[in-house]
Amino acid sequence: MSGLPPTTSVKRWFVTTNHKDIGILYTITALFFLLFGGVMALLIRLQLWDPTSQILSGLAYNEAVTAHGLIMVFWFLSPFAFGFANYFVPLQIGADDLAFPRLNALSYWLYLGSGLLLAVSFFQGGTLSAGWTIYAPLNVPMYTPSIGSTGAVLALAMFVTGTTASTVNFLTSIHHSRAEGMGIMDMPMFTWSMLATVWMMLFAFAALLAVGLILAADRVLGSVYFSATEGGSLLWGHLFWFFGHPEVYIVFFPALGVMLELFQTFSGRRLVGRKWVIISICLISVQSFLVWMHHMFLTTINLEIKTLMMATTIGISLPFDLVVFALIYTLIKGRIQFTTPFLFAFGALLLFILGGITGVFLGAIVLDYEFRGTYWVVAHFHYVMFGGATALFGGAYYWFPKITGKMYDEFLGKLHFVIFFIGFNAVYFSMFLGWETPRRVFEYNPEFQIYHQFGTIGAFVLGFSFFIMFYNFAKSYVSGEPAGDNPWDYSRTAEWAVSSPPPLENWPNRPSYASGKLEFVKDYVPDGGPAMKTDDNGDVATDGGDSHSAHISEYPYWDKHPSHASIWPFALSVALGVTLFGFSGFADAVTVELGETAMQSNVVISNAMYPIAIVAGMLGLLYTGVKWGLEDFYAPPSEFAERWPFNGVEKVKLGMWFFLASDVIVFGAFLSAAIFVRYNAGWMTWSPLTESLPGLINTFVLITSSFTVILALVAARRKSRQGLLATLGATILLGFTFMAIKLWEWNHEIFDRGVTISANAHGDPIQASIYYVTTGLHGIHVLLGLVIAIFLFVRAYQGHYLDDERPIEYFGLYWHFVDIVWVFIFPLFYLF
Amino acid sequence: MIDPVILQQGSDWRAQAEVFDEIFFVFLALGTLVGTIVVAYTLWNVYKYRDDGNRSDEEFDAPVVGELPTGQGGPKAKKLFLSFGLSAIVVISLVVYAYGLLLYVEQGPDTGDEGDIEIMVEGYQYGWAYEYPNGHTEREALIVPADQRIDLNITSRDVWHNFGSSDLRIKSDAIPGDYSEVWFAVSSEDVEAQGGEATYRVECFELCGAGHSQMKSQITVLPEDEWEEWYESTGNSSESAGNSSNIGAAGVAAPSGVSA
Repeated sequence: MSGLPPTTSVKRWFVTTNHKDIGILYTITALFFLLFGGVMALLIRLQLWDPTSQILSGLAYNEAVTAHGLIMVFWFLSPFAFGFANYFVPLQIGADDLAFPRLNALSYWLYLGSGLLLAVSFFQGGTLSAGWTIYAPLNVPMYTPSIGSTGAVLALAMFVTGTTASTVNFLTSIHHSRAEGMGIMDMPMFTWSMLATVWMMLFAFAALLAVGLILAADRVLGSVYFSATEGGSLLWGHLFWFFGHPEVYIVFFPALGVMLELFQTFSGRRLVGRKWVIISICLISVQSFLVWMHHMFLTTINLEIKTLMMATTIGISLPFDLVVFALIYTLIKGRIQFTTPFLFAFGALLLFILGGITGVFLGAIVLDYEFRGTYWVVAHFHYVMFGGATALFGGAYYWFPKITGKMYDEFLGKLHFVIFFIGFNAVYFSMFLGWETPRRVFEYNPEFQIYHQFGTIGAFVLGFSFFIMFYNFAKSYVSGEPAGDNPWDYSRTAEWAVSSPPPLENWPNRPSYASGKLEFVKDYVPDGGPAMKTDDNGDVATDGGDSHSAHISEYPYWDKHPSHASIWPFALSVALGVTLFGFSGFADAVTVELGETAMQSNVVISNAMYPIAIVAGMLGLLYTGVKWGLEDFYAPPSEFAERWPFNGVEKVKLGMWFFLASDVIVFGAFLSAAIFVRYNAGWMTWSPLTESLPGLINTFVLITSSFTVILALVAARRKSRQGLLATLGATILLGFTFMAIKLWEWNHEIFDRGVTISANAHGDPIQASIYYVTTGLHGIHVLLGLVIAIFLFVRAYQGHYLDDERPIEYFGLYWHFVDIVWVFIFPLFYLF
Repeated sequence: MIDPVILQQGSDWRAQAEVFDEIFFVFLALGTLVGTIVVAYTLWNVYKYRDDGNRSDEEFDAPVVGELPTGQGGPKAKKLFLSFGLSAIVVISLVVYAYGLLLYVEQGPDTGDEGDIEIMVEGYQYGWAYEYPNGHTEREALIVPADQRIDLNITSRDVWHNFGSSDLRIKSDAIPGDYSEVWFAVSSEDVEAQGGEATYRVECFELCGAGHSQMKSQITVLPEDEWEEWYESTGNSSESAGNSSNIGAAGVAAPSGVSA
């Protein structure tokens, strides 16, 4: 898989790893989901037309509400923004591509696959009907029993997996591949917004992944987290909103970034108070993790905490004030051109101002008590999230000429804006007027019918306006005027300095800002050595000892041509999709009848389709994973780049660190869940379920295996193949020892003591669930580590890693991390 | 038997709805004012500085492609901070003002040590059960006397519900395994104004399943003496007559006794 077929070939779109191709795929797929979610919205609006008659059953209405929320928030807003981010962040920072092109393709395919899984869930006895907030315990099978509900939860988990990959990729790219001379404060505002977005995503989506995995365990394996009365409901609330509040900014920030770009481009002014805007954006990103309980003011949280959350909530509104004023003042004394992109960006600002002001209402606890669960909230967050996304449509018009090389139709664009803006306010402002209506209720007080009918008309107008956009884009793509490299008078960012569309590897020569503005410099590339900077005369520059050059020479294949095609991201995603599809029906299709011992237990399979899907999918995962590992795919790091604050860190290592940081949050959430539930059950009423001796032995086993991994790295550096094989082999043996002891322990618990994942002969069932799920998650990490270790072992046997020991080092990082997690698990589950 | 302490009229206590309406009005007035000013100012400037093609190029320093951003501060930064400061003052003072009233809403009016009526409210799919101190359970309506502080202790038997009455401006989550509290009081004037028996809509404000839309109930407020009469007629039996009923949705199991 090396050559990339032309864009006219269907095959290209399955194998491409190029950031621009993937950006296009993201954008188009997201627009598809906009239609999908939009149809759900129109179903809701139709049902709201008349509170006395039903066109949807109660369950169907709930499914429409749930799917609308999930699709719009997860499968439309973020991916739409990430389409632009994929295309333009590398261009704006002067990179050839994202740091990990194959991973980028994987993110996209996981996104598409998860969306298809969600679509399939409608046909598995109905999709999830618990609202996009999926509150517990409505989210457990007792109350939402359909297979499709589980399918939707697993689809969400798959989506989050892809998102995490994307997050790691963007963080590494932005921190590792900025063109020479582009300091972090010099980045264009869209890139800045994306950087803040992905930093928030790294932690927020990890929390969502954790809570999604716990819910999946409840639904597939039978654990009882969210049905537990020992705080199960509140546990969901805390974990979900810890993700959920940053999520608001995660979907809003890319739109804000587009606004910040477009306000400058179409007024000819530079952003006012740029530094302060950046500081505000950073502050908001941090603060977003400190306000989540304002979504839970009516629960039993005590007054002190509510007060604290109220203060942090007001605190987070202040940086937003500054950003809004900066946007407004940027326009003053400009030469404002009312193009379609500007109209959308400006409209977004007006909508966001209204969303922001109504948000302050919600910050006052007394008002929030009343607004909770009403259309005030619905109207507010649509003004903020969809209002913000309005700017993204501006971005679509703004970048359309760059992506296609053709100009869109200005008249149709403006028409779209006018109809969109009228429809938007008709549907969402009417919600403010009828705000006392409870959310997700269709038999509402007939007093408010006039508002809801008005809103329904608005919704259809709003929906219609998008067809003008689709028509405009289709028509312009086929027969639009050629746009040229830079159709805008006052654009500044680097994407406008290359042709439309840009060439595969983006740049004519290496982009550099070293002189204070963008230049394309030609580097001197000696035979058998990496590129070197040249001075004005084209001679090799001798000043400024070049650490970058040393950096690149660590890569043994530095002079290979970069790869742009791989089928494995697609294949891996298919395999994961099949596996998760299998798991969605697992609980219904497979029953385990426990006997006296494991041997006497019986597995009854009532529907073979699901277990077969699991097995086939997992084999597929293993196969594609190995093929991925063996593929000769080369994505070189930028040779000369700004890397603050990670100057000395190699690209893959940096990616590994980001991944582990998100995994810390995943485990953090699992352990917090364990502590939260135990605290609610009465801390001292629980004692360890298991004997501590096997756990203690396992602690020693794991710590020893950490040492052997270090020895493996040492052996690889010394180019000792035997040493490498011996130490890796020892690591694998220790890993299996750990798993064997674990297996014995579980076997003992289940068959000798009657403690299973959903039943506990000696106390609260939830305690058993927590024990199995938490140690099980760790066990899966160990197992995954073992698979990688075996892969490394075989490759080492074939003589690899002696020239380039970095894979051993990065595997070691992961392995150490898994060992450290055990050090936290051990006391919590075995000692106290 | 409950020994009621009559809430004093007038300045001593305010209904939740009154507190809410006051804060809501203040926020709405200021919000509209600030919003109008900001939006009008923005629109005016956008119009004023539109590109009409006949502005001189002097003093216009147009950006060019590939420039590194400058203007991190600039003369407008001062104005930026002034507006930011002003908005911060408005927002913070609004919230501090609202916080003062929050403390009242949290505590409720002081009625002395005894006498408040405490009723357990249990949500279930799809209805509400009200259990009185004498063990009587009511399912059609929450029947309470006027002029008295009523304390509700709210929980759920199955999934997460939210007990709320928009008319009375009270609302609280009903979470399985957890007990949340809310109080309210209705004056006898209000009861008389509604013709001797005041009724208020009760709805569920948290998605709780297929019947969420139909999960309605009501609060009925009777004059003190009428309520006394009714309450005594319920006796100590939870299955008693009066105007209590077993009309709850078909198929809904009788509520198990609620215990704290």
